[in-house]
Amino acid sequence: MTPEWPLWSAEHPAEESEPPRCPSCGEPVTPSASFCESCGAAVTPTAPAPAPAEPTEASSQTQRLGVRNSQAATCTSCGGTIDADGYCTTCGTKAPSPQDHYRQSPADWVGGVCDRGLQHSRNEDALGLWADGECAVLVVCDGVSSSTDADAASGAAVQAVRAGLVDTVAASAPGTDLAAVMAVAFVDVAAAANQAIIAVTPAEAANAPSATVAAAVVCGDEMHFANLGDSRVYFLSGGDGVLLSLDDSMAQAFIDQGMERSEAEALPRAHAITKWLGRDAVDIVPRVGSYRPTEPGWVLVCSDGLWNYASTPAELAAQLNAAAATTADPTLIAAGLVSWANAQGGRDNITVALARCPAPSAPTTLEADSSTVEELPEHG
Amino acid sequence: MAEFSSAVYQNEFLPDGGTDVNAIVTVRCTGAGSAGRTGSGDAGEIIVVDTSGSMGMTNMQAAKQAAMVALDNILDGTYFAVVAGNHKAYLAYPKVQSGPGMVQMNAATRAEAKHEIGYFRAEGGTAMGTWLSLCRMLFASIAGLANKHVILLTDGENHNETPQQLDLALTSCTGQFQVDARGIGVDWQVPEIRKIAQTLLGSVDIIPHPSQLSAVFADLMRNSMARGVANAELRVWIPQGAQVLFIRQVSPTVEDLTQRGTPVNQLTMSYPTGSWADEERDYHVSIRLPAKTVGQEQLAARVQLAVGAELLTQGLVKAKWSADTNLTAQINPEVAHYTGQAELAQVIQEGLAAKQAGDEVTATTKLGRAVQLATETGNAEATSKLRKVVDITDARTGTVRLRQAVEKADEMALDTASTKTTRIRG
Repeated sequence: MTPEWPLWSAEHPAEESEPPRCPSCGEPVTPSASFCESCGAAVTPTAPAPAPAEPTEASSQTQRLGVRNSQAATCTSCGGTIDADGYCTTCGTKAPSPQDHYRQSPADWVGGVCDRGLQHSRNEDALGLWADGECAVLVVCDGVSSSTDADAASGAAVQAVRAGLVDTVAASAPGTDLAAVMAVAFVDVAAAANQAIIAVTPAEAANAPSATVAAAVVCGDEMHFANLGDSRVYFLSGGDGVLLSLDDSMAQAFIDQGMERSEAEALPRAHAITKWLGRDAVDIVPRVGSYRPTEPGWVLVCSDGLWNYASTPAELAAQLNAAAATTADPTLIAAGLVSWANAQGGRDNITVALARCPAPSAPTTLEADSSTVEELPEHG
Repeated sequence: MAEFSSAVYQNEFLPDGGTDVNAIVTVRCTGAGSAGRTGSGDAGEIIVVDTSGSMGMTNMQAAKQAAMVALDNILDGTYFAVVAGNHKAYLAYPKVQSGPGMVQMNAATRAEAKHEIGYFRAEGGTAMGTWLSLCRMLFASIAGLANKHVILLTDGENHNETPQQLDLALTSCTGQFQVDARGIGVDWQVPEIRKIAQTLLGSVDIIPHPSQLSAVFADLMRNSMARGVANAELRVWIPQGAQVLFIRQVSPTVEDLTQRGTPVNQLTMSYPTGSWADEERDYHVSIRLPAKTVGQEQLAARVQLAVGAELLTQGLVKAKWSADTNLTAQINPEVAHYTGQAELAQVIQEGLAAKQAGDEVTATTKLGRAVQLATETGNAEATSKLRKVVDITDARTGTVRLRQAVEKADEMALDTASTKTTRIRG
């Protein structure tokens, strides 16, 4: 039934057709109304009410927005379903990203762990390991968290450095003077890593992504290392060891001026780094060196997420020994060190890379007094 | 087919113990097409002309001409009707007593409708709720209308209905069609007409002079015909245990949507946004979450645009708790800008209401704050309209004096424009 229209007539203006009236108060009511607009009394509609907006199916919501991940995970927080956007559909908790924690075990004497820690929402550290025969490459990069896309920077840098070092090691004939070759290679790979970061830097980025780098190459009973920024290389043995790398940081600048390490590292600006890789880097030449241990031990390359809680070689060696008490697997030992750093607060991303040195298959030619640290002058 | 995209502007970092997340979500529509021509349903247009006695010769003549110009801008094939309103509502065209109360536009119906409009004369009172109720029934008499739009012209107060009667009519029309309302002259009430426009998802403005009427009607109709997407909804998902503090459209105008939501499911509310042309709209979403520990990240809201059952775009509003005060202390510039713009709209309306009520102290304070906010947020239109109502001593501190002789039309123009916002992109 359709209403009768109150027609405007040019010849007979305002001629009214009789609308339905409210039985209670006598006022006109709209034919489809089920209550009087004047007094609110219930009336019987004489016309169908306009159709209400159709309710929509919630279940079909996300279909156009992207294919739901086939391994659709369950939320670790509430048991709800994780949506294609990576968050729980019930409580909104972010599903852990594969980047939040990963391990690499290229050989039974080389392993490492890269972990988000507890207090940062994203893992901006990156880890790259390689091993073949009695040679290994260990690379750790730490994205500078005050820059945007720092995780992209560290990821790109690790790949570039690892690839460059692996090529160099693989191309070196037996008997090559590796110390000299690596000293050049480290400088080249740092430049390549810088280019790799710039390649992933959006042109309009106001705060260009940047990263530190620390790397070690173990071949037989010798090791070579480089660093730029405040990621570190240690050699740890027995209850002690040596910090081989030198931070490019405010703390190190104060140490150079004679301040105690413990005091310098407690300064408010201690963690400000003075060198980094990235589009706005001014000096991209790493500090390089070589080392030949006098007794078997571990090469440890790590980000400040670990050494923040154990800066001196003795402190770190104590934690490494504790972690190694129950396992000989370097990846599990690294995981033990990461767990320990998280137990201390996990204030930063934590990356730990370990390799035995000398490499297990290397002939034991250690001599008691052959230990040397060669500091090569910085290039440029 | 129209394409929607979205972008989220926010500082996602919350301090330890922080609970409130604010974000601006921009939704953009491209390829909207024309109303009634996208295959999703026909379009319907109703022109409502105030024919009350107060219109007089001049306004009535201008209104007739404007209504005819509006007809010229309705695309052929669109269903339309013309309503004459005073204390009653009359169907002026099509001239049918029953059955479908709208006809499709073509050369013949356009000419017939113009002919009928030519007979309009000013007499009687004003009952806008009745006009709107007739529009609702006319739209309902045609099956399958998607875009439903009314241009409503009035010149006076709603004398022949109580506010409750108008509210009841508005309630029954909500979600049924959209209304762009225009007031001619200075004898109508801005809050009354703004309420109609806001409830029915349209715009409000003053037409100070009858000579401007035709151009305004032509624009309104062209804009309506460009809205090829009918009845889109903003959907906001929040996590279990969270709370919506407010949902506000902040550009091109400020419209509080918080109370307009209907539940889609336990965690998702749907807010009507009406029809869309090729355009961008900004929404300010404010959500309260239970605090999590530092280092945790979670989603605070999924903000989606849906047409029917189809989700066309989604923006993610995030929360990341951090101990780094450099990150958590920053206020996102878009959020800050639109917070200021929303307050600007509020203090202009409150200031003018106080002025009308004779409370000059409150009016001076509120309009002073408005000058300050308009300056801070770079809203030049608001600043120039405020200048016609107050003398500005110091815009930076908001020190103003009420002007003694103010044109009523200037005051009304400031009021109707109060919700218009400017945009920034940092």
